[in-house]
Amino acid sequence: MSLRDQWSGLFWAAIAIFVCLISVPIGIGTFKSPGPGFLPFWSGVFLGVLSVALVIMSILQGKEEGRISSLWRGLKWHKVILVLTSLFIYTLLLPILGYLITTSGLLILLFGIRRKQRLWIQVLSALITAWVSYLIFYVWLEVQLPKGIFGS
Amino acid sequence: MDILHNLFYGFSVGLQPSNLLFCFLGVLMGTLIGVLPGIGPVGAMSILLPATFRMSPISAIIMLAGIYYGAQYGGSTTSILVNIPGEASSIVTCLDGYQMAKQGRAGPALGIAAFGSFIAGTLGIVGLMIFASPLAEFGLKFGSPEYFSVVLLGLTLVTYLSRGSKIKALMMAAFGVILSCIGIDQINASPRMTFNVTQLWDGIDIVSIAMGLFGISEILINIEETTTAEIIKTRIRNLLPSLSDWRQSIWAILRGTVLGFFLGILPGGGPTLSSFGSYAIEKRISKTPDRFGTGAIEGVAGPESANNAASAGNFIPLFTLGIPGNAMMALLFGALLIHGMRPGPLLIKDHPDLFWGVVSTMYIGNVMLLILNLPLIPLWVKILKVPYGVLFPLILVFCLIGSYSVRNDIFGVLVMIIFGILGYLFRKFDYEGAPLLLGFILGPMFELNLRQSLLFSKGSFLIFFTRPISAVAITIAIILLIYSFISLFIKR
Repeated sequence: MSLRDQWSGLFWAAIAIFVCLISVPIGIGTFKSPGPGFLPFWSGVFLGVLSVALVIMSILQGKEEGRISSLWRGLKWHKVILVLTSLFIYTLLLPILGYLITTSGLLILLFGIRRKQRLWIQVLSALITAWVSYLIFYVWLEVQLPKGIFGS
Repeated sequence: MDILHNLFYGFSVGLQPSNLLFCFLGVLMGTLIGVLPGIGPVGAMSILLPATFRMSPISAIIMLAGIYYGAQYGGSTTSILVNIPGEASSIVTCLDGYQMAKQGRAGPALGIAAFGSFIAGTLGIVGLMIFASPLAEFGLKFGSPEYFSVVLLGLTLVTYLSRGSKIKALMMAAFGVILSCIGIDQINASPRMTFNVTQLWDGIDIVSIAMGLFGISEILINIEETTTAEIIKTRIRNLLPSLSDWRQSIWAILRGTVLGFFLGILPGGGPTLSSFGSYAIEKRISKTPDRFGTGAIEGVAGPESANNAASAGNFIPLFTLGIPGNAMMALLFGALLIHGMRPGPLLIKDHPDLFWGVVSTMYIGNVMLLILNLPLIPLWVKILKVPYGVLFPLILVFCLIGSYSVRNDIFGVLVMIIFGILGYLFRKFDYEGAPLLLGFILGPMFELNLRQSLLFSKGSFLIFFTRPISAVAITIAIILLIYSFISLFIKR
C-alpha cells in the first residue's frame, strides 16, 4: 500500500458519499419493499467502507513509494494529454464538420505522435486511412456516420 | 446419442458459408490481436461488437467467440519471439518460450504452443458439450434467491481470484454495479442517476465502457512508453516438435487441459489464472525444476494448453446460467442481449442453433487456427514489426466509429473517452478494469433478483439461507469475503 492508495481511497470515498447522497431522493425503500435507490445506496455504502479500509491500511503501513508524480516519471505523458485533448476536440467538431474531414484532421496529428516523418507522408496516410475506413464502415457496413455541414 | 445428434445439427449450422466465413474472420482477427501487444481480446471484441449489429446473431457470436479463443493461440507468438506477452494469459509462456527462442529453438516452442492449444481447445469443447446441457437443466431450478446468491458468488470469486489487490477488485466490482444502476429502474420504471441527461435514460452502453477501459486506456499507456521491443533475429525452423519434445510435453498438455477447463468454469478463473496454475504445477511435479525458466518445453506446453481449455470452459456458466465469468464473457453476454437472446438455462433449449452452431464452429475454428498458425508465423513476425505509431491511430479510429455507431450519437464517443481516462488512471493506481465490467454486466441481474427475493420474503434475508443452492452459494461467498478481509490484516 502506498500514497497512491491513500489518494485513490479518498477519491473512492468521495464517490461513495456522492452515490449515497443521490440515492436518497430516488427512494431507498425498506428491506420489505426496496426502492430504486436501494442497490445504489448499499453499493455506495459498501464502496465507502472499502475505500476507508484502503486508506486506513495504507496509513498503518506507513511505507511510501514516492509522490504521485513518480507514476509519470520518465514517461512521455504530454503525448497522453495531446491525444486526449485532440479526442475531445474531435467529438466537438465531428457533428459539425462530419466524419471525413474531422477524422482526417485527427489522423494527421496522431500519425505524427509516435513517429517523426515527413508531413506529406503523414497527411497522405491520414487521408487514405480516413477514406478507407469511410468506405468500409459507411459504404460497405452501412454504419451511420455524421455528415456535417459539408455533407461528408 | 443426443449430443452427437445435436453436434451434427450444429455442424449443419456452422458449415453454412456465411458462418464459416465469420468463424474464419474471428479466429484470424483473434490471432492477429493475440500477436499484437497493446490490444487484447476484450478491446478487440468491444471494438468489433458494433460491426456485428448487421450480422445474424449466430454469425455475430461465432465471430466474437472466434476472436476470444483465437487470441489465446496468437498470444504465445509474441511471448516466445519478443518476450512480450500478447495477452495476460501468455505471460508465463515468456519464461521458457523466450529462452527456447534465444537457444535457437523458437520453432519447437511455437509448434508445441500451437499443437498444445489445438489439443486443449478441442478437448475443452468436448467438455463444454458434455457439461453444458446438464448444467442448463440444473439452472432451471434457479429462482431469484439462487440467482442472487450465485451472482454474488461470481462477483466475489472474480475479485478473490484477481491478480492484484482484492480490496481494489471489490471496489471496482461495486463501482460497476453502481454504474449499472444508471437509467430506467427495472421494477419501478423511473429514471435514476440520470442528472437530466436524456441519453442516460437508456443507461451507459457496455461497448463504450469496454472500449474506453480496455482499448483507449491501452493506447494511452502505450504512447507514453519510451521503449520498443526487440524481436529475436533467429530463423524459425523445425516447427514440428521432435519425438522427445512430445514425450516431455504430452502430459503437461493433458494436465493443463484438465486444470484449464475446470478453472475456466469458475467465475474469474479464466485463461490467465489457468496458465499460471499450470506452470506452477508443472514446475512442482518436475524431476528437474531447475530447467524451468531456462527453456523447458513443458513450461510452454502446459500453460498454452491451459489457457485454451479455459477459454472453452468459460462458455459454460454463460450459456447455461447466463452468468459471465470474466470480461470477455461479459462482452459476449452483452452481444447476446443486443442480438435479442437472453443467456441463461433456456438458451440451449430455445436457441439450439446458436449453442450447437457455436460449439461446432469452435471445432472448425481450432482446426483453422492450427492450419493458420504454423504456416503464418513468418507473417505474424512481420506484423509485429509494424510500428505502434502506425497501429494506434488505426485502433483509435475503430474505437471512435464503434462507440459512435452504438446509438449514432456523439454521446457514446464521449463516454468512451471518459472511461478511457478512467481506465488509464486505474492502471496507474493498480486497479483492474475487469471486475468493473463484470459488476456492470451482472448488476441488473444482481439487483432484480435481490429486490424480488426481498419482496417475496417480506424483507427477510433468511430466504437466501433456507434454499439449498442459494445457501451453499451465499455461504461460500460470505466466507470468501470474510477471508479476503482477514487476509488483508494478517498480511500486515
